[in-house]
Amino acid sequence: MPATKTAPPAKKAGSSPLLSLWKAYNETTSTRLKTIDSFLVFLMLSGIVQFLYCILITNFPFNAFLAGFASCVGQFVLTASLRAQVNPANRNEFKEVSPERAFADFALGSIVLHFFVYNFLG
Amino acid sequence: MVGALPWFFASLFLAGVRASVLTLQSPRLSVIGADATPLRNEPLSLAVKVPAPVELGPADKLKLTFQIVDADGKGVQPHQTFLRFYDEVTGEEGVQPVKVTPGGKAKFELNMARPFSSLPPSGKDPLQVSLYIGSFKHDPVQYNLFDLIVPASQAPAQHPDETFFHVRPEIFHTFRPEQKVPPKFVSAVFTGFIAAPWVVLLGLLGNVGPQVPHLFSPSIIPFVATLGAFEALLVWYWVDLRIGQVLLYGAILSVPAAITGKRALAAVSERRLGKSSK
Repeated sequence: MPATKTAPPAKKAGSSPLLSLWKAYNETTSTRLKTIDSFLVFLMLSGIVQFLYCILITNFPFNAFLAGFASCVGQFVLTASLRAQVNPANRNEFKEVSPERAFADFALGSIVLHFFVYNFLG
Repeated sequence: MVGALPWFFASLFLAGVRASVLTLQSPRLSVIGADATPLRNEPLSLAVKVPAPVELGPADKLKLTFQIVDADGKGVQPHQTFLRFYDEVTGEEGVQPVKVTPGGKAKFELNMARPFSSLPPSGKDPLQVSLYIGSFKHDPVQYNLFDLIVPASQAPAQHPDETFFHVRPEIFHTFRPEQKVPPKFVSAVFTGFIAAPWVVLLGLLGNVGPQVPHLFSPSIIPFVATLGAFEALLVWYWVDLRIGQVLLYGAILSVPAAITGKRALAAVSERRLGKSSK
């Protein structure tokens, strides 16, 4: 996984290595991967907010917290593996896995994950 | 032979009358203290009870001596001689045999330092002491001798299972306090926080600007529709359905999803390979 996660916060950091990293990411990454990355950032932020709520305010109802947090973590894992498999830079590692196959896996995994999440939601 | 029978019965009757009286000769009662000092020493009257009850300390000795004689004044050894200790209030009693010599002399001793086991458990009420004499040849006799006050016995040890035979104290369950939802304001603030990542997502997507030119092509849209149907089914499951229903509907829905997915992804693949081969 490239170090793209730190990219958005580094936007205003201004320090030159981070700035060049951000620049390189912006220029070399395809739009598809950027879309996936923004979805990953969204999932991460969602999970963090839910976790903070659980710690700071209350974990009641706990099943709902479990469902919400697990959906964020699970979806993050599925999306991250999708990104790893469709990234052209990793073509050599996933020779027998086409991007379409990766997306089919992603869709199936997501449906199963959502089934369990709704099970927990109560 | 027949004529002899009335004689036999008559003689038996006469013998019974003659031998039926058994009495005590010179019955004496004495109480000796722990230091061997005589506390009480008096003759017993068979006709009336001893007016003052006999009181024994924890180490005192009670001595009883008498001779059992028949009407002729001859010493008799009866078959059974018992002293009975009876607590009228509690109904407890103990019977202790008394040894009698062939000459009819009897000596009974009760040492409170080592009382015999048949002595009934004593409370504050006196024990009635009476003498029973049984004989084959004589009529039975019973004499109420005196009242005996002995130190109260210890309370019996409680049986380990005793508590099971009484009502146990009622069991009260303590529960954790009911969990509460936080105040409305806090909920609203965190709802805003939860919505914030959506703003970030939309902002990023707007920035990236992904293009989906073939989304509405006839090969793609059925697959997207079945995926949407799956999500709708899961929301329906959350709201209303049971797990058996959702598994059934999901299994049914998976067939068109697999078919449309194969078509859509084949189309995408074809486009990708065609593009890359160019």
